[in-house]
Amino acid sequence: MAQPQQIVATADMMRAGYPVRPSRAVRTGAAGGLAPALATWILTASLWGIPGGSAAAEQPTIPAPGDPTLSLECRVPGAQLYTVAQLGAVKAALAENRPLKILAIGGSAAPGASASYPAKLEAALEHALPKVDVTIDHRGLPGEIASGAAERLRTMVAEAEPDLVVWQVGTHDAIARVDVDAFASALAEAVGWIRSHEIDVVLVDPIYTASMAADVDYNRIVEAVRTVATQQGVPLVRRYEALHYLSSRTDKGEGHMLGRQFRLNDLGLRCMAEHVALTIATSLMRTETPKEPKAAPAQPPLTEPQRAPG
Amino acid sequence: MRDPNAIDFWRGFALITIFINHIPGNTFERYTFSQYGISDAAELFVFLAGWSIGIATRGRDGNPEPPGRSVVRLLARTVEVYRAQLTVMLLALAIIAGAALLLDNPLILEWHNAGGFFADPIQSVCGMALLTYQLGYFNILPLYVLLIGIAPVFVLVGRVSLLAALALSVGVYLASLIFGWNLPSWPGEGDWFFDPFCWQLLLVLGFVLQGWNLRSDILRRWARRLFPMGVVIVLLGILLAVTEIRPDPMLVPEPRLLFTFEKTYLTPARLLHFLGVLLAFAPLYRVLAPRIGRIVGYLTQMGRNSLAVFSMGSILSLIGQLVRFQTGGGVLIDMLVAGSGLVGLGFTAWFVEWRSRSRSSRPRT
Repeated sequence: MAQPQQIVATADMMRAGYPVRPSRAVRTGAAGGLAPALATWILTASLWGIPGGSAAAEQPTIPAPGDPTLSLECRVPGAQLYTVAQLGAVKAALAENRPLKILAIGGSAAPGASASYPAKLEAALEHALPKVDVTIDHRGLPGEIASGAAERLRTMVAEAEPDLVVWQVGTHDAIARVDVDAFASALAEAVGWIRSHEIDVVLVDPIYTASMAADVDYNRIVEAVRTVATQQGVPLVRRYEALHYLSSRTDKGEGHMLGRQFRLNDLGLRCMAEHVALTIATSLMRTETPKEPKAAPAQPPLTEPQRAPG
Repeated sequence: MRDPNAIDFWRGFALITIFINHIPGNTFERYTFSQYGISDAAELFVFLAGWSIGIATRGRDGNPEPPGRSVVRLLARTVEVYRAQLTVMLLALAIIAGAALLLDNPLILEWHNAGGFFADPIQSVCGMALLTYQLGYFNILPLYVLLIGIAPVFVLVGRVSLLAALALSVGVYLASLIFGWNLPSWPGEGDWFFDPFCWQLLLVLGFVLQGWNLRSDILRRWARRLFPMGVVIVLLGILLAVTEIRPDPMLVPEPRLLFTFEKTYLTPARLLHFLGVLLAFAPLYRVLAPRIGRIVGYLTQMGRNSLAVFSMGSILSLIGQLVRFQTGGGVLIDMLVAGSGLVGLGFTAWFVEWRSRSRSSRPRT
């Protein structure tokens, strides 16, 4: 039953020009019996209107602008979008066929009240993980991680008892000009604490915007989020990098009355849910089956972290 | 105008502490007492608000005023605080939006979760009027509105029996800790940063203790007797804060909120620590007052005009954060920000009193 699905998914991914080392993904997938996760690639691809198996995709006339499972305006090459790592707790929840509980922390809703970030994330994940019921608890976390907010996070996590925490982190500390080392150690401690309770974490680093590109402290905060993600072995949505990529693309069409940076910011908010969902789905594909000892040291991330420009 | 007194002094002290703590990351933050204990200035502020209600609802002779008048008085105060909250929120959002436009930096829109407002103004503006939409660091006034709004219940019960008022309050407090009651945030998920069901206890405690303090000497005698215990609690608080030892909310037994140090719920540990701070520091005013007359004058003037000073403090601390952000911070900037803030707050208090003086001395047109 699972076998044909895998083959179809693989073929489809190849045809769609899946850029992130497909052979490796398939191998891991086959070993782990990851039929549902792989099948989602077809689903996500078709739902997001990606031409699967068309002649145009087989012989692309233009270089692939990014991961084809993303909607057109959000496409960013995988290497610039995420760093994947194991998601053992999510995997276990899926294996037990129970609803996936996610605690989404930080960040505002996307522009337009109709499709907020948590609603979009839920939709995107339920596309990516069919037959899985995803429930999302979205909380703002005011304050700085380096002073107080990490404490509040613990209580939130204890209240929600999620399988996965998706954490947009760093913005408040960057704005408050918190000492980077204090931020990094507080974040590492908080992530370590969450993981010590068998809960997965996906980190999302701060946004890219032109006026911050040359800001040394800001870049160090972004860097610190990456370092912590790598050290703690958790997936990272590289929002800074992704938005930087999107900003460099020629933006035709839609303008923004407040200027280019605000347009980019809106785009970033719109794409957040897709980017997070893709990072989770990709990480899941690389996650070995549960029941392995959880104490095993975290795998190093499979893609090399890249430095922020500037 | 009241003469300088301990209540106004400590209130002014709490206002200054809150102002400094609301400029996160600044150099002086680490010199505030909030960094050296489990509870902080918010507890002090709410407790003193309760104590002041006790004073305000009694005549000069200490006898309670007619209940109807107390209810109307508290209602008027609720309206006043509500109006302040709306004004402060509007100004804060305008400052954030203005800074984002001026500096061409949409990152600023995310300040204190203000992004939710700009992304979804239709729901957020309703939430703002309902007090369910709150910005980070701008969440004490909504609590204050609610607490003064429900204060008449406790004041009226207190007319019959202060003990009954306290028992009612403790009952609500314990129930909300056990069942996790809180008011929801909206739009957006989550709850209020300051859980009113829990924090009402401090207000009522202030009100009840003020009554007992007036009635007999027993409270003061016990406070003197328990002074050493207060000192021990304060020292223990310093030790826990410095070593960052705290209970793991995932490991404590149910109901968890009885055991954690969570600010939102004013958990028993915080309450106990606050009472210890109260016991240890309450006698200090009498020692300090004759020695630091100027500072006492400055702080008590703020304490007398706490709503105006608090509101202005929220705005000034936000501006201070923006200045720190744009300049990159540093000790010099921090000195400038904190210094001008302290002068600004002092001026605010002076201005409010000057205005009411000049109003009352001149016939209204």
